[in-house]
Amino acid sequence: MCRMVVSMKQELNIYEENLSNYVKVVISGEVDIYTSSKLKESLYDIIDKNRMDIKIDCSQLKYIDSTGLGIFAGAFKKAKEIDRKIYLTGLKSNIKKLFVITGLDKLFIIEE
Amino acid sequence: METSADIIELMLPLKAEYVIIARLTASGIASRMGFDIEVIEDIKVAISEVCSKYVQKGSSLAEKFKVIFTVTEDCLTIAFNSEDKSLRCIFSKDDDEFAVSILNALMDEVQLCIDNEDYLLKMSKFLERKM
Repeated sequence: MCRMVVSMKQELNIYEENLSNYVKVVISGEVDIYTSSKLKESLYDIIDKNRMDIKIDCSQLKYIDSTGLGIFAGAFKKAKEIDRKIYLTGLKSNIKKLFVITGLDKLFIIEE
Repeated sequence: METSADIIELMLPLKAEYVIIARLTASGIASRMGFDIEVIEDIKVAISEVCSKYVQKGSSLAEKFKVIFTVTEDCLTIAFNSEDKSLRCIFSKDDDEFAVSILNALMDEVQLCIDNEDYLLKMSKFLERKM
């Protein structure tokens, strides 16, 4: 008999690597309303814990919507409060387009 | 001879974990219709924006919502309905600025507040943008 409580696999992974003068964060998978709390928790924790600039490798980020973009905006604000910057690298064209539509491309340093 | 539209309906629980199902279904239908991959990604984001908002705003009045895909030769229309009519006009100009900007930019036609028994919200994408 099937159990009544449903637990679905989360399609999001976040890796963190401390380098000499910045923290590299690799986000892979999909950020939507189901996985966004994991992104928020991880990203905010990385900012609080390291207090360094952050380079987020988005080359394996397959999908993001406004829930995830809101978390990026919150992370930017949090980093700015401690005078740190967030760099985004490897954005796929369809995801970069969302940053442009929402004006978030002006907050982050977007590298190819 | 005029061909009629094909209609595909999806009934989803108002739960975050099922938003991906709407996205994957939209992707399959749009792909079958011949939309290119970039446009399919845009449609996936748009449908996800609406489904996420229903999940966020979902109340005890409804446990599920319906996504209705209408497929014609040159257009995919995605409409949404729920037993809870308070879910009409779910996007606010102030709180949902990102989501509304994204919907309007990615879809060709968007109607956010529909006063109709069959749909609460409807959006369309044309295979070739209308002139």
